[in-house]
Amino acid sequence: MTVTTPSRGKSAADGRSRPPRRHHPFLRALPYLVPAFALYGYFLVYPMLDAIRISFFKWSGFRTEEPVFVGFDNYTRMFTEDPVFWRSFTNSVLWVVLSLLLPMMIALLLALGLNRKMIGRNLLRSVFYLPAVFASITVAAMWRWLYNPTLGLFNQVLEAVGLESWAQTWLGDPKFAFYSVFVASVWQAVGFSMVLLLAGLQNVPQELVEAARIDGASAWQVFRNVTIPALRPTFIVVVILTMINSLKVFDLIVGMTGGGPAQSTQVLALWSYTQSFTNHSFGQGGAVATVLLIVSLVLVIPYMAWTMKGEEK
Amino acid sequence: MSIALATAPAATGGPVKPKRERTFTHTDGRPDYIKIGLWASLMITGLLWAVPFYIMFVTSLKSQADIANTLAWELPTQWMWSNYAEAIDTGNLLTTGSNSLIVSLIKVPLGLLLAAAAAFAIARIKFRGSRIALAVIAVGSMVPIQIGLGPLFTTMLSLDLLDSRWGLLLPYLAFGIPYQVFVLYGFMRAIPDEIEESARVDGASTLRIFFRLILPLAKPALAALFILDFVATWNEYAIATTLLQSQSNWTVPLAVQSFSTQFATDYGPLNAFVFMSAVPVLIVYLLFQRYFVSGALAGAVKG
Repeated sequence: MTVTTPSRGKSAADGRSRPPRRHHPFLRALPYLVPAFALYGYFLVYPMLDAIRISFFKWSGFRTEEPVFVGFDNYTRMFTEDPVFWRSFTNSVLWVVLSLLLPMMIALLLALGLNRKMIGRNLLRSVFYLPAVFASITVAAMWRWLYNPTLGLFNQVLEAVGLESWAQTWLGDPKFAFYSVFVASVWQAVGFSMVLLLAGLQNVPQELVEAARIDGASAWQVFRNVTIPALRPTFIVVVILTMINSLKVFDLIVGMTGGGPAQSTQVLALWSYTQSFTNHSFGQGGAVATVLLIVSLVLVIPYMAWTMKGEEK
Repeated sequence: MSIALATAPAATGGPVKPKRERTFTHTDGRPDYIKIGLWASLMITGLLWAVPFYIMFVTSLKSQADIANTLAWELPTQWMWSNYAEAIDTGNLLTTGSNSLIVSLIKVPLGLLLAAAAAFAIARIKFRGSRIALAVIAVGSMVPIQIGLGPLFTTMLSLDLLDSRWGLLLPYLAFGIPYQVFVLYGFMRAIPDEIEESARVDGASTLRIFFRLILPLAKPALAALFILDFVATWNEYAIATTLLQSQSNWTVPLAVQSFSTQFATDYGPLNAFVFMSAVPVLIVYLLFQRYFVSGALAGAVKG
């Protein structure tokens, strides 16, 4: 991410003098901004703001019915009478925390390992990245098959090695379902983080590594004092993307458990959808969506402040 | 500072051999057990990661009887290539596939162009409020789209664009834009001012600078975003399942549900379908792969 532009000698003095401005800069920028911002505003920002608005109404979502303003009723109901909301809230937070621990560490180890020259390196990179190009909904279908209680791979392997007693109905048991879905997501998510970290590792200045080696630094010292600092910007990007993607998890859960059994795999994104479209309560769905929005912003704003500060320099 | 290091001690004595990459040995030829261990553990992890693909492949070729009677990792007793034909049929792949293809092939290039234009304006035209524009975009690239699904449904309903492939294009264009603008902004920002100024001195218009100068320079970033966006669009499920109802408008991810009834899932054809559904994405990935790792993050322009 660091930009190295060799500063070439300023060629001629006339490079400094600007041609006279024909238009105000904003007017010049406008035609380039309008198409993207119109689409973005109308089909992304507006629906999100509208979700906040609708959270203060009682509405089934049918056009024949008028929304009725109910103030904070949806929120009171959600916080006090909706155990599924709390379940999905803790599940979403848990998903974020687990994703920051497990798949990210695996991705970092893989990236460090695969950054060296070795036999089969490109093949390995492809194997780890491959799951990321499959649609989550198809990954869900694959893994539902692997978890099949009688015919699936996991229980058959356990049986073959004599651990029949460990066999579970992985997706049917509220104790295991959440973690079973999470394992599938680890399998899918590691590759993308790995690729980003591999790209980040290209920014580690090789001159510094060699200079440190010549000065007699150990591998660990090189890693600590050269690799880690150079990798920091990439690492922050990976952390942010991991958090965002954790809050977005939807397809995988829809495809594997639909939120069940007994709502044990319910998350905010899916519960908002279910409240709006299955339970026909757009108000409740909007309230859940608003909580999801706040959670996302709380996680993301520190990063934004950091980026914007970098822009000022 | 790197000049001194570039001419670091060359091999002394003996004919200069082309330098072989040392993979598993120390400089003096002793085996390096740490490297061998590292390699072995990476290989084992790689094998673990490949297992689901292997299972998917063998299952896709098993008959109902084989699925019930053979172990998950065993080869089929009878290779059921007809599962693939059945998958095309059940998943309605000709229709869903062409729907997905139309949507992706319009959305991805068009969306990238619009995003590039906006990024160009924010990064290269110094107008007041450009930082606000960037902040607005940045927030959008970071919040889950599921927040707006309910109202998006209502909006599309009132525009009479529900259950339509063309209607689907609009929110699809929208969801890709923020992330792309964000990445392209960083990339275009890093292009040195002198390049643009010399073009201006030569009398180039803003439009010309965008198409002839900045866009070509942003090609590595555009290629990386092309892969990411194609994959994201081809695989998109949440918006499609909200907006599309009739089967004739379905995209590929929606067709997965055709393989399950309330009571049973047809695992042979289902796995065949999963495998086939990823083929276009794999093709795009292979075509653009060489840009991918370098372009995904790099914001650097060599002077």
